[in-house]
Amino acid sequence: MLFHEIYGSYFRTVSLILKEALSGNLTGRELNRLVQEQAFGESFMTIPDGLKGEKWRLMHKDLSVPFSEEPSMPVTLLEKRWLKSLLLDERIQLFQPDMTGLEDIRPLFTPDMVVYYDRYTDGDDYQDTEYIEHFRTILQALREKRNLFVSFETGHNSKPGIVVTPYYLEYSEKDNRFRLIAAGKRRRWAINLSRIRECAFAYYDQPMKMKEAVTDYVTFELEDRRNALERVLLHFSHLEKETKRMDDKKYRVTLKYDRQDETEMVIRILSFGPVIRVTEPERFASLIKERIERQKELFATV
Amino acid sequence: MIFLAYSELIKNFNRIRTYLRSFYVYGFQHRSEFTQKSARSYDNERRRVESWLGDYMSFGQDKEGRRVFLSVDSRAVPENPLYRAFRTKSFTDTDITLHFHLMDILKADDGFSINEIMDELTDRLSEFEKDDLPDESTVRNKLKEYVSLGLVEKKKRGRETVYIHSEDNVDLSVWDAATAFYSEASPLGVIGSFIQDRLPERFTYFRFKHHYILNALDSEILYELFEAIGEQRLITFTAHKQKIHVLPLKIYIGTQTGRQYLLGMSPGSGRFSFYRVDLIDSIKTGKIYETDDDMKNQLNDFCSHLWGVTGNNSMHLEHIEMTIYAGPEENFIPGRLMREKRCGTVEQIDETHWRFTADVYNAIEMLPWLRTFIGRITDLRCTDKLVISRFFDDLDKCTGDGPYACPALDEGKYTGDGCLC
Repeated sequence: MLFHEIYGSYFRTVSLILKEALSGNLTGRELNRLVQEQAFGESFMTIPDGLKGEKWRLMHKDLSVPFSEEPSMPVTLLEKRWLKSLLLDERIQLFQPDMTGLEDIRPLFTPDMVVYYDRYTDGDDYQDTEYIEHFRTILQALREKRNLFVSFETGHNSKPGIVVTPYYLEYSEKDNRFRLIAAGKRRRWAINLSRIRECAFAYYDQPMKMKEAVTDYVTFELEDRRNALERVLLHFSHLEKETKRMDDKKYRVTLKYDRQDETEMVIRILSFGPVIRVTEPERFASLIKERIERQKELFATV
Repeated sequence: MIFLAYSELIKNFNRIRTYLRSFYVYGFQHRSEFTQKSARSYDNERRRVESWLGDYMSFGQDKEGRRVFLSVDSRAVPENPLYRAFRTKSFTDTDITLHFHLMDILKADDGFSINEIMDELTDRLSEFEKDDLPDESTVRNKLKEYVSLGLVEKKKRGRETVYIHSEDNVDLSVWDAATAFYSEASPLGVIGSFIQDRLPERFTYFRFKHHYILNALDSEILYELFEAIGEQRLITFTAHKQKIHVLPLKIYIGTQTGRQYLLGMSPGSGRFSFYRVDLIDSIKTGKIYETDDDMKNQLNDFCSHLWGVTGNNSMHLEHIEMTIYAGPEENFIPGRLMREKRCGTVEQIDETHWRFTADVYNAIEMLPWLRTFIGRITDLRCTDKLVISRFFDDLDKCTGDGPYACPALDEGKYTGDGCLC
């Protein structure tokens, strides 16, 4: 039911082409452009022939169609059941959901069926009215491309107030937190939503350009013992990476990461123990060594 | 032997699961290493993946040949690119012809009987050179399928059965931001991506950190598991070529491992066990299984002593204690203990020392987490001596200049093969 042609790229592309044909604007070139943009790399070998070649009997050779109305497909039961499941999620209040049409629908899953067993426990409070208000203001600013004035608590309990151009809302599944990723006059900001105390549209409306996050890389040798290869590669699979085999049991892995996350990367690499040996850069390797040396000293003094 | 013409579409999703996984997770394998099928199959599957996900494909060359891999920084993209693989279901010419014509015909207010539908189809399709008509049973089957999908409603008009386009009363435009978020942050997010396909414009202002996109490939299995959990039905499936018969209870999702697990109970022994979802295949649903309060209490008790996803309730509980040092200005260290612990307690024992204590079914799976405190640990004790031995043995291997005497045990250096990460 989930892997079905009605959700497929071909059906969707054909639907867009038929709409265009009904509006009277379709040309052979436009048809090919839609296939190229909406479907896959080799779809041009099938879709134009299926339509213009009358194989599918949805379009005549002259690009006219035997329909008087635009093609439409109702929301499927599967889609409705998934939406109904969202209504039971703790974060849904952030989005002002509309229950219309879902009243008698059985959810696909309920929150008690799912356990995020290694998620941190100090995630954001999604029931907090101030938090919800800030979230919605940010969403609106993103849609309308408006600047925001935000004031937030820092680690030193100060509350700087700044004007930023919002770019994204970033969610971490592990932390269960949202952060506002925004551009300020001089720097890039990543502000935890839970720390925001004030959030409003700013008077200053010139968009500020986002500075790229500073990235770094780490290379390590990985010894495949006790299924370490799969565990390590899966664990770091969300990062851009390259893996090369050195011999039957050894691999060299290079990961690219945001420099702001360096401490987290050190801890994550450390968690794998001796199956990983950091080789480059020396600076990163010494961060690991420092911790191990410190541990050695601690045990020596016990 | 008959060779079917190559198509970028596929009939069975399971076939492509292994290839996508290999290209994405490993990325060092060459053509000759894909031995589960023929080299020709490899060429076809690689070509398909390239056709669907060309923007994310990378190539490498080494002395053993050319490598193909998928490289995605999931933090940089608003949408999981692997969802594209779910838009590749193959279909027949009749499927696509009937889809668009039926959806159009059935828009009429009163609905159409099967005879009326056949008449209308005859009129429409006879306009084309190829004028063979789908037979009535094919159309009936398609209508039946569309009723179960929720696209078509079946109603009575007097004594006659009529079919009508389902009422579309969900306003998807108000769901744009929610579906963009939950497509990535909710189980079965691929369904949200189907919904986004229907919107005139996608909401693209979310990004996702620590985002494991590979779980998407198990969506069909997860869907079947949720259905069985919801209906409290026993299931049989294969995993690692073994046949397993369980009552599915919960799905455990790792936000740090990129894996999903099924927690199930064996109906005969009452034993709770975990199964990796990506290894589950061929689910068959069986009878409804009635559970009682006693079983629910046992389940709650079992879950409250889990650190991860190994162990079962026939094992003994192990007691573990870890004491760490945190300077007066280092509140973030006990903060880490508090937020990262999955069970157990944390107490401050003096101005600079904090103790974590827990009773868990399988203490050895805590080792990766314990190691993240390396440089801070002043004491580590566990009733499972292997945990302590491995911790110290691994520390020796990390520095290469051990052994360190274990402060919690007097047995000195553990000499076994001791790494479990």
